[in-house]
Amino acid sequence: MATVEISNLKKSYGAVPVMHGVDVPILDGEFVILVGPSGCGKSTLLRMIAGLESITSGEIVIDGRRVNDLEPKDRDIAMVFQNYALYPQMTVAQNMGFALELAGRSKADIKAEVDKAADILSLTPLLDRKPAQLSGGQRQRVAMGRAIVRHPKVFLFDEPLSNLDAKLRVKMRAEIKALHQRLKSTIVYVTHDQIEAMTMADKIVVMNAGRVEQIGSPLELYDRPDNLFVATFMGSPAMNILPAKANRMGITVAGLLELPGLANVMVGTEISYGIRPEDIVIGGEGAVPVEVLVIEPTGAETHITARLAGEEITIVSKERLSAKPGETLMVSLASPRSHVFETATGRRI
Amino acid sequence: MSKVRLSLRPSTQGYVLLAPALIVYLLFAVYPMIDVIRMSFSSWNGLSPQAKFVGVANYRAILTQDPVFWGALWNTLIWTTAAVIVPNLIAFGVALALNQNIPGRSSLRIIFYLPVIIASIAVATIWKWMYDPFFGLFNGLLTSWGLSGWIMDWLGDKKIALWSVFVAHLWQSVGFSMVLFLAGLQSVSTTLIEAARIDGAGRWGVFRYVTLPALVPTITVVIVLSLINSLKAFDIVYGMTGGGPAQSTQMLAMWAYTQSMQLGVFGRGAAVSVVLLLITLVVVIPYMRWMFKREDAVR
Repeated sequence: MATVEISNLKKSYGAVPVMHGVDVPILDGEFVILVGPSGCGKSTLLRMIAGLESITSGEIVIDGRRVNDLEPKDRDIAMVFQNYALYPQMTVAQNMGFALELAGRSKADIKAEVDKAADILSLTPLLDRKPAQLSGGQRQRVAMGRAIVRHPKVFLFDEPLSNLDAKLRVKMRAEIKALHQRLKSTIVYVTHDQIEAMTMADKIVVMNAGRVEQIGSPLELYDRPDNLFVATFMGSPAMNILPAKANRMGITVAGLLELPGLANVMVGTEISYGIRPEDIVIGGEGAVPVEVLVIEPTGAETHITARLAGEEITIVSKERLSAKPGETLMVSLASPRSHVFETATGRRI
Repeated sequence: MSKVRLSLRPSTQGYVLLAPALIVYLLFAVYPMIDVIRMSFSSWNGLSPQAKFVGVANYRAILTQDPVFWGALWNTLIWTTAAVIVPNLIAFGVALALNQNIPGRSSLRIIFYLPVIIASIAVATIWKWMYDPFFGLFNGLLTSWGLSGWIMDWLGDKKIALWSVFVAHLWQSVGFSMVLFLAGLQSVSTTLIEAARIDGAGRWGVFRYVTLPALVPTITVVIVLSLINSLKAFDIVYGMTGGGPAQSTQMLAMWAYTQSMQLGVFGRGAAVSVVLLLITLVVVIPYMRWMFKREDAVR
């Protein structure tokens, strides 16, 4: 267990910069998730922590020790890969004990550690099998077991659940979270799945194009996104963004909805009005008409895609609606939980 | 006018597509193989209309009365052992080197592969000239370096002739195995290498626990191919020494050819071929079964 301090980290491939000065503080025992779209640099950042990618400038400090120039094996980290990366010729037990064997630990010692980890991960009956004889979920658990036996200072997870089917992913998500609560270890976890990030993390780092957009707890990011990118990236279905304009009384949304005042905004400023699908109320005071395009019942809730003044919006309702495509629905867009961003900069107002 | 439609079941279609290749294979590979076995029990001079059945007389003759057969068998075994080990070890080293990100990598790969595309008989001619005791490159170089004491009759001295031919074979065959090893090396998972590095493996550890196990299928193929090719070694030896001097480079395949085509004793030639075929099967089949079983255990 340890802290990880990432300061002003930059990375270039030749003349092409891909990471532009990233700062991420990670506390001891914290579960930190790096999230962002493909190509945002989250995996590169994780691999830089692991020592698999060189650092162009900046600093990574693990448990008070600068690790920039250390080999991966000397950083006291363990990594779980997306495709498990198990040694195919070794049994589950050999895979899990491999790092300890390389470290010169005694056979009895290795066996004790492997047995303990296998017990935690319910792998005991599988210890003599080869990876090819395991299911995807079992392989992923072996990969985690291989990390656990080493008692590393930091666990690194690189999209570990991407290769699993939806149901297994939910199960493994809970297992990883339970594992973290049990081991109280520092975890840095990369995913592009914001549901994974929301459900598991103590702290989420949202990245985009080699920069950190926002760092915060899952609900902080959800409830108070710093900018348009974070607002639209976190949450599924995504937040609705409607064009608006500041006027003397407040703002006009999509040309038809007047909402009360905003301080410190110049009249005429282009605004992006954000409202999450579940914050749109059907009916209610000051409701405006929208045209229903698609209805998607999920059982627990209903997702409605509708058109409002030329803009497509998504509404999530707990009600089971009888509305049909083409019909008009009255919805209220004025919510105390709505968000306002300056369109030009994308920043929250 | 109605169109004639030829509708075949998929399995029939498969056989139709397979037929041309199958006919050629049966006619020029399977039939001669069976006919050689038949002929090995007959006496025939290649001209008379009828071959006479002689039972195992040809086998008895080559095994008990033919001193060249045992020499050729010994040479074939030595040659095969050397040809499976030496060129493949060199090819493996070269492939490992050329798998690194070094400047001129592509050109070097082509240079190492070039000898493979030259016909063996042309390789034989090139090397025969280089080995020429009077006008050849090697003795010329040794003289100009003041090492005339090292000058030898490379192909005329029966103590070294086989090894001189082997060097030419080495030069020609390294490229082929190298390409197979390179293909194998490129399929080694980079994630697995990274996982091993994180687990604490150094260069040797990564090689021992990741690269080598991943190359097992390639190594199997390379060894089987070089076993088969070297057991039937013929053209390069034929082109360089013709089996001489004093049968010191004689090989089984060449001895079968010499018996049949030059001495006109087709029965004995066929018997030598059958012995060679049996040796090949006895060596190759158990090896392949063993390796594939190992591989299956991993999969």
